[in-house]
Amino acid sequence: MTGAYMRSEVRRKFRDPRYLIFALAMPLILFGAFGAAQSHNHLSGITVAAYVMVSMATFGAMSSVFSTGGAIAFERAIGWNRQLRITALTGRAYVAGNGLAGFAVAVPSLVLVFLAGGLLSHVHLSAGRWLMTSLSILLALLPVAALGIWVGYMAKAESVQAISGAVYSLLSLLGGLWVPVTVFPHWIFEVIKALPMYWVAQAGRQALIGSWVGWQGVAVLTAWTGILAMFAARAYRRNSAKS
Amino acid sequence: MTGHPRSPLGAVHLSGVQKSYGKTRAVRDIDLDISPGEIVALLGPNGAGKSTIIDMLLGLTDPDGGHIRIFGEAPSLASSRGRVGAMLQSGGLPSELTVLELIELITALYPVSLPADEVLERAGIADLASRRSDKLSGGQKQRVRFALAIVPDPNLLVLDEPTAAMDVESRQAFWTSMRQWASSGRTVLFATHYLEEADTFADRIVLLREGRIVADGATTEVRALAGGRTLRCTLPLADLNDLGSLPGVASVSVHGNGVSMTCTDSDATVRALLGRYLEVHDIEISGAGLNEAFLALTATPEEVRS
Repeated sequence: MTGAYMRSEVRRKFRDPRYLIFALAMPLILFGAFGAAQSHNHLSGITVAAYVMVSMATFGAMSSVFSTGGAIAFERAIGWNRQLRITALTGRAYVAGNGLAGFAVAVPSLVLVFLAGGLLSHVHLSAGRWLMTSLSILLALLPVAALGIWVGYMAKAESVQAISGAVYSLLSLLGGLWVPVTVFPHWIFEVIKALPMYWVAQAGRQALIGSWVGWQGVAVLTAWTGILAMFAARAYRRNSAKS
Repeated sequence: MTGHPRSPLGAVHLSGVQKSYGKTRAVRDIDLDISPGEIVALLGPNGAGKSTIIDMLLGLTDPDGGHIRIFGEAPSLASSRGRVGAMLQSGGLPSELTVLELIELITALYPVSLPADEVLERAGIADLASRRSDKLSGGQKQRVRFALAIVPDPNLLVLDEPTAAMDVESRQAFWTSMRQWASSGRTVLFATHYLEEADTFADRIVLLREGRIVADGATTEVRALAGGRTLRCTLPLADLNDLGSLPGVASVSVHGNGVSMTCTDSDATVRALLGRYLEVHDIEISGAGLNEAFLALTATPEEVRS
């Protein structure tokens, strides 16, 4: 049942211009503009092209996963969630289906940018390495999924787009997706390391060179997942309370 | 007043049901039984509690007190098992999906469903199957929502203001297909504030005011309940409260020297009126239509005495 609902949500996202622009086209264009040609310079132990490739793939996947928030807010606004609530789809299955749909559409975001990296910028990895890089990014995006669900239950449909735009920009900037974190002053870098998004990109970069994100990264990501999931759960319960 | 069999195994059973939102008492102590095969209108002005009752029947909202059973089951269980289908008031459709995709989605969300093509057929929208929902007219959307409601082949259909956005023609067509659907002994409960709609399509009208049932019976009974008389007269400097206290008066309104009273017993009213006001003239008594009955029974005192 969750599967059927998830498939339907995935189908909707593929027909949504916002998804096509922010999660598919934009990361690809930004990669082409800023990273694709730099296959000789190095940054943090990998080529600049590979670095930017992971950043842009992470940006696209983040947009996909966060789109759950817009979907929930919109379905609440038009009353579609009420239509679903009178079927056998439980509230939890609804949230799960929405969240899983976000991760499902994150896969094409990653694949497209990785294809561009492999074909245009000579980022050559084994199949296993590509897979580990993708899985690391997706797993590290769990706090973003929780944030999306929280926003979906808190925001009004009219404001969710503006909120999403702000969240994308802030997360990308504070995650060093648009500008490498090395250009920031030291103290800002310390703040960034306490936030989740830097570690999402880091999870991808480390997996790319056959390493892993490390305990600090896991700790930060786990803590943020816990906190945001708690907020999301509270907003969900308040919203579906039958009072 | 009901005159209907009270069975806990009927289609719908409510006893002592209450619901408040903050200080607003949306539904106060409602008892209602609906037998299988009945077509019942929940009639009342905005804020009378119609939507709250419907939300509770579907398990979308829990009552604060009282007992609700749908075919002997708890509302949310009856809904999830597909024994109840509903057209909700705010029921928008996701614009990225086609009509067929919407129906297939809802089909997958019930344990047992009609085949999608049969749903399309029964709702008369086979020609719209591949149309995206943002390309539908208001009437077509409503037929799609009817289709979604009948997906699990429910025994009870609950409709919240189903024709609110329809023109006269599509309203007529909608009710024709509804009658057809209900003809095989299925139960329909619909909320409306259109009198003629309740009068034309329901076998029974449940009239609500401020969260209470003020009348419940066959359409003709409800009409009779209001006494069916309107008394008009000319009376300078009339006092609203004085007039309202006359015997047999349900409601009063005054426009300049003209007075209009809805009466439950116009004979008693006219006797008292002539006895108390010597200057009264141009008395005219007419039989009330359903409109007047509705007003007399549902209006709050403050509204009428303005």
